[in-house]
Amino acid sequence: MIVDTPVESSVGEVRLRRCLNDLISILALPAAWTGNDASQIVGTLLGALVGMLNLDFAYVRLNAPEDGPSVEFARFGESLEHLVRPRDLGETLTRTWGATPVQWPLSARIVLGGDQLSVGAARLGLHGELGVVVAGSQRSGFPGQTERLLLDVAANQAAIGLQQARLLEEQRRVSRELDRRVAQRTAELASAIDELRRSERESRLIIDTIPALAWSARPGGAAEFFNRHYLDFVGLSAEDASDWGWTAAVHPDDLVELTATWHHIMDSAAPGEAEARLRRHDGEYRWFLIRVNPLRDESGAIVQWYGVNTDIEDRKRAEAELRRVHNSFADAQRLSKTGSFITDLVADDHKWSEETFRIFEFDPATKISVKSIREVIHPDDLPSFDAVIARAMTGVDVTFGFRIVTAAGALKHVRGIAHVVEQVAGRPMFVGALQDVTAGTVAEEALNRARAELAHVARVTSMSTLTAAIAHEVNQPLSGIVTNASTCLRMLDGNPPDVSGARETARRTIRDGHRASEVITRLRALFGKKDLTLESLDLNEATREVIALSTGELQRNRVILLSEFARDLPSITGDRVQLQQVILNLIRNASDAMAGVDDRLRQLLIRTQPEDGDRVRVIVRDSGAGIESQSVDKLFEAFYTTKPGGMGIGLSISRSIVERHHGRIWAEPNDGPGATFSFSVPRGPASAGGAAARVVRES
Amino acid sequence: MTDRRSLVSVVDDDESVRESLPDLLRQFGLAAEAFSSAEAFLSSGVVGETQCLILDLAMPGMSGPDLQRELMRRRQDIPIVFITAHGDESVRPDLLARGAVECLFKPFSEGALLDALNVALRMR
Repeated sequence: MIVDTPVESSVGEVRLRRCLNDLISILALPAAWTGNDASQIVGTLLGALVGMLNLDFAYVRLNAPEDGPSVEFARFGESLEHLVRPRDLGETLTRTWGATPVQWPLSARIVLGGDQLSVGAARLGLHGELGVVVAGSQRSGFPGQTERLLLDVAANQAAIGLQQARLLEEQRRVSRELDRRVAQRTAELASAIDELRRSERESRLIIDTIPALAWSARPGGAAEFFNRHYLDFVGLSAEDASDWGWTAAVHPDDLVELTATWHHIMDSAAPGEAEARLRRHDGEYRWFLIRVNPLRDESGAIVQWYGVNTDIEDRKRAEAELRRVHNSFADAQRLSKTGSFITDLVADDHKWSEETFRIFEFDPATKISVKSIREVIHPDDLPSFDAVIARAMTGVDVTFGFRIVTAAGALKHVRGIAHVVEQVAGRPMFVGALQDVTAGTVAEEALNRARAELAHVARVTSMSTLTAAIAHEVNQPLSGIVTNASTCLRMLDGNPPDVSGARETARRTIRDGHRASEVITRLRALFGKKDLTLESLDLNEATREVIALSTGELQRNRVILLSEFARDLPSITGDRVQLQQVILNLIRNASDAMAGVDDRLRQLLIRTQPEDGDRVRVIVRDSGAGIESQSVDKLFEAFYTTKPGGMGIGLSISRSIVERHHGRIWAEPNDGPGATFSFSVPRGPASAGGAAARVVRES
Repeated sequence: MTDRRSLVSVVDDDESVRESLPDLLRQFGLAAEAFSSAEAFLSSGVVGETQCLILDLAMPGMSGPDLQRELMRRRQDIPIVFITAHGDESVRPDLLARGAVECLFKPFSEGALLDALNVALRMR
């Protein structure tokens, strides 16, 4: 221990005693500091130093624990109390000695508030890590030996106290942090529990509110929970429905399968679904889609099954209705042998109904194309088919008829129509129907043959009937004449001659001669009749009827018929049957004219068109043998014919019919192959028909 | 050559035949009766006496062939000479095949009629 050398024992003794007292006080400080924080400790320290060492100031700078800002404390004696602020003191020290207190000198002199002061510094902590304590006095020589001792001990004690305070502070901080965390966790837990309760309430609400029957089951399949809807729907209590009680509400017909499916789902341990009818509380069964999902624990074991049953009764009914409609549609198609199709010709995309596939005997999986259709079309009908396709491509409605030879070798007659429903991307979509008319066609062909034969027979018959009628009418009186004449001769040759008998027979001969003559007159009158049966008629319609009559014959002759009917063709007044005979005659002639054509299409075009002067024209154009322009005038003369078996009366009759309608008929050779026959008749009875009508009345 | 009393019945709906033919037959030395229909002949009472029947083919009501069948049904084996104004030759073979003596087409000659009658009456 270092003590001042006593200059005078009494003064030395007093100083020593004082020093010892001060030391004891300083050593006791830590006990007083227990539980205090740093500022309290520093405050006590500064007070003690100023008092004990009779200082003009005491200053402490505490370093912050972790690079934070340092904290300054200062206590002044009376001399400086009003002159200097603690902050000015800190700045003066820093300015004088630098910013690092550890490097400050342990004793020096500084100028503060205009006064020279002696200063002593002591580090807080072994290496000054806690900070620094600085004491200043106007006394020169400060600090003396005892003053240095007291300052160091005080600094040391303070360092201990500060260390403890820091420890305590840390403990408090940790404790506070712990408390805070505990409180936070507690609050979180409480909120989580709240949330859980709310969520549970909501889940329950959701489960009970969702428009589905929700349920859960234990891993073994026994039901555990049913939502409100479920119980309300089936009209069972939760107890009644639990385990396997719910099966009471399953339709008896569905129960076996449903139970099997349920077990299968449980065995597969995967989500699954089933459909079954459930009985509603009022006894009505409705279809449900039952879906179930497993809930697994961390090990993957199933702990619960969750299911939802959705009412699909309406869907089921719609499905059944759709199936019924589809079936009946398919039935109707099958029964009527009518198939339908939707075709995009440009994209070569074809959607066919089952029956269409059946008619073509194509596998429904076949990708249909125009090419695949062409492959089954009868070779003779390919030109006609291609012509129809070409026409369809232009976007007009078409009718068609062709034969197909199926893969199995069956020959079928197919007929149909297609019309444009919409333009998709500028190209026509066709919806159409086609019909297997094989049976009908075969019958029709037989019918047509029969009709043709009948027509022939009728022509022949009418001719022979006419001849027979004429013969009969004439032969009867002729027979009388011959017999009477024979009798007359015999009577005159008799011996004696029977003159009166002969006169009688001669008289009868004359009478029969007159009778024969009357027959001829009557026949002439019969054939001289010129009456027309006039009616208002649409030549388009009349022509269509003739075409319908001729279709079979034209197809047999492999003639492609194209028709172009003028829209808004005015109706005319005329004899429908007679004009149809003219049209029929022109069509037959055209068809006959193409019979020998094999190097080009046998194409027949029938066109109607209005003409100037209130007339209507019908044009029949063929691609046949054609006509010589020199012979055009002769064509309409009776008994002129270019046909091997022809009689040469068709066109002459046609001309007389047209002329009786005050019309005109003519023929022209085409630029290309074939000829065009046309006739035109005036529209109404105003000019010509009036006269005709009078003729009708007079006859 | 023929029995004077042989009765030839004429059935024809044409009046001029009914007027003229019996006169000619009488000139041949035959007895003759004329009827306007098959029904009139059948109900006349002379069916049994008739040695030859000159029968029109086409008549209203019962036709010539109808009467032929009716007579066969009644086992009245009367030789029949058909006459017809319809000039259809195709009917002739049929009629002959069914037992007719001849089929004459109106107007027929005196000679043709005599030939047919000779054949018919010789059959009796």
